[in-house]
Amino acid sequence: MKKERSKKYRILQALRILSQTLFFLLFIYLLFGTHFPGEDYIGRVEIFFHFDPLLALATFIASRTIFVSFIFAAFTVILTFVLGRVACGWVCPLGSLHQFFSFIFKKLKLLKPKKNIDNRTAWKYYLLLFILVGTLFSLDLVGIFDPLSLLYRSFATSVLPAFSHGFSAFIGLLYQFNLSSLGDSFFQFYEKLAVNPTFLQGFFIGVLFIGIVLLNISRERFWCRYLCPLGAFLGLISRWNVVKLKIDPQKCIECNLCTIHCQTQANPFPEEEWKSSECVYCLTCSAICPTSAICFPIKSTPEKISQVDLSRRKLIFTSFLGVLTVPFFRLSPSARRASPKLIRPPGALPEKAFLQKCVKCGECMKVCPTNALQPALTEAGPEGIWTPMLVPKIGYCEYYCSLCSQVCPTGAIRELTVEEKTQIKIGLAWVDKNRCIPYVLGTPCIVCEEHCPTSPKAIKLVKIEVKLPDGNIKTPVAPIIDTDLCIGCGICETKCPVVDKPAIYVTSVGESRSERNQLLLDIIKE
Amino acid sequence: MKRRDFVKEITLGSLILKFNPALFAQNKGPPDLAWIKGDSPALLTREAIATLGGMKRFVSKGDIVMVKPNIGWDRPPKLAACTNPEIVKTIVELSLEAGAKQVNVIDNPCNPARRTYVRSGIAEAAKKAGAKVSFPNPHRLKKVALKGEWLKEWEVYTDFIEADKIINVPIAKTHSLSRLTMGMKNWLGAVGGNRNQLHQKLDQAMIDLAAFFKPCLTVLDGYRILIRNGPQGGRLSDVKLHKTVVAGVDYVAVDTAGATFFEMSPQELPYLQIAHQKGLGEINLEKLVIEKRTL
Repeated sequence: MKKERSKKYRILQALRILSQTLFFLLFIYLLFGTHFPGEDYIGRVEIFFHFDPLLALATFIASRTIFVSFIFAAFTVILTFVLGRVACGWVCPLGSLHQFFSFIFKKLKLLKPKKNIDNRTAWKYYLLLFILVGTLFSLDLVGIFDPLSLLYRSFATSVLPAFSHGFSAFIGLLYQFNLSSLGDSFFQFYEKLAVNPTFLQGFFIGVLFIGIVLLNISRERFWCRYLCPLGAFLGLISRWNVVKLKIDPQKCIECNLCTIHCQTQANPFPEEEWKSSECVYCLTCSAICPTSAICFPIKSTPEKISQVDLSRRKLIFTSFLGVLTVPFFRLSPSARRASPKLIRPPGALPEKAFLQKCVKCGECMKVCPTNALQPALTEAGPEGIWTPMLVPKIGYCEYYCSLCSQVCPTGAIRELTVEEKTQIKIGLAWVDKNRCIPYVLGTPCIVCEEHCPTSPKAIKLVKIEVKLPDGNIKTPVAPIIDTDLCIGCGICETKCPVVDKPAIYVTSVGESRSERNQLLLDIIKE
Repeated sequence: MKRRDFVKEITLGSLILKFNPALFAQNKGPPDLAWIKGDSPALLTREAIATLGGMKRFVSKGDIVMVKPNIGWDRPPKLAACTNPEIVKTIVELSLEAGAKQVNVIDNPCNPARRTYVRSGIAEAAKKAGAKVSFPNPHRLKKVALKGEWLKEWEVYTDFIEADKIINVPIAKTHSLSRLTMGMKNWLGAVGGNRNQLHQKLDQAMIDLAAFFKPCLTVLDGYRILIRNGPQGGRLSDVKLHKTVVAGVDYVAVDTAGATFFEMSPQELPYLQIAHQKGLGEINLEKLVIEKRTL
């Protein structure tokens, strides 16, 4: 018998790799493009998320509201319905990354493709069920596991910042070697990239991400194979698709290469055991087959479908676990009483609605022009992990900027015009008179007042009397806050010359989005 | 000539010299200050420089010129928080016309440079005129001996040290500590380090920095001035359309002239008095030759 690999499928495989590369580059391009574009309004840099039906479904169930932009997710659903999980194999940037590293690990002989088939592929279905059960009770954990959120968050808060530090060090090196004109050009380019370099949890998120990539040493595309809840969701709706694997029994020599090299354990051989819900149509099997025995014809009549073995007992157990977990997430005090440090970006919905919608993707953190938005750890309770909060010690909310509200893919931050944004309070500033330079030393300062962006300024200067240690009295002017005018942007805290623990600081009280987290009752004011 | 006529003329001449020296000085050379009013910021600037004797007086062929506007804030030109872009543009054009090899524009702003450079309109205007507009580069900061009274040394952007000529193009605004911010305060944008601590002795810092940078020319933007809520403003009502440009070599004199926009005298601005005492410039406008003109 003639031994020859299929030319057609090898070309298709090359096309698939090209498609993966292009989509990955598009993802990176949009990631880099997510910064102040020189105008007040930015284009749809968050478009990838709107093609994600898992995010659409989970935020819909958790928040009980429909976000129109998710209409694009219907396209992915229809595509999967008709053609199977091609989105996983041909488009998903995280899938491509995993596949790339699997390839590298194979070349390094760290990863040896194995024949044995296990039932861990069921994990992702349990995880999906767990997430969706939670959303029924408005507990939205989808952002932690969704592949696009995971990838974007890891890149925005960890990979890019690390790259930025490396690049910066390289520029420094150029100057050390007296290549200053080269250093100048590189620096101006670096500035234009506008990568935020500082993230509270950059290290933690980075370690998790590297861990997920290293899992590929154990199994090819470990994440896609066992863990990805979006893959599971697409797998569930893909079983009726019209592109099915077919093995020509005349040609097949039962070498098992197809099953050994299958990227996602779809088990191409024997044909009856092939799992269409696991197949991502990478076409490795048909391209690798030494006798061109495998093809993917279009079949209108679905035959008997082999499925991942989901035990009913475990499904019930997972559902229970999902239900039982919900109250544990609600033990945190953050639900009862606002946290002072939890300063949400302008336009953020009231906390409860915000948590039901935020998918922790990090778009807002990437676009923030001052690096102010940071992933929370415990400030918003366990379900609020990696949700955005403003940390004024790192950056402040730029007065004429509403970019975070424009790039939020789920509407957790309501889209605002710049005009609307300037009217929103995200907190209030407080002067720490025990640390403020004029209050303590009688020395002039006024830096907070100078930077206050509102007109009239929310920070006023009043003459005060300071008794110095030597008994002398000084009468400098010192800052005092007009709480009506203060919008909580935090530039005062960012710029305060008392660097270690600023003598003026912002807390969340007074934020426009909350009814309860207020200083004064409106009735009293009037 | 008769002896009588000779004596007559000598007497007349010395009388004129004694009581109105300006008459003679005017013929001798350009005035100390050009003080021009009019409708177009660009034309005002051109006229002011022409009155001072043209840009060739300040910029020589092949010079690398540093133009230092105020690009401190993320505010559009109409809010008068940054120097008028038209004025910056004109200065760049004039410098290049005078034969400058390169014109650089840099400011270390308070809001991120990526935003202020754009919203102020200065980056675009200056680039259009042929300037090289760069973001302040921390790799180019260098601690240098300022030899000031308070600031012995400080981190300065070497772009300013390496320039052959420096032209200061500030805008006139109110400020809660120095009362007004004009030319001498503008130098806080040419340095790095913990700038926020300079406010603890701001007047002295301004003087030390101004004496160090020694601009060959200061062009004060008084087209739109910020009369309250400075140095950022924020509302149109904080802005007054003053339609003036004052230019001169003596930067203390230029700031003194700028103080009159706000109806303030140098006696109300301690930094001007100290600068004058140190011999950095003149604060008595009557001792200066000023050419005021309205276009």
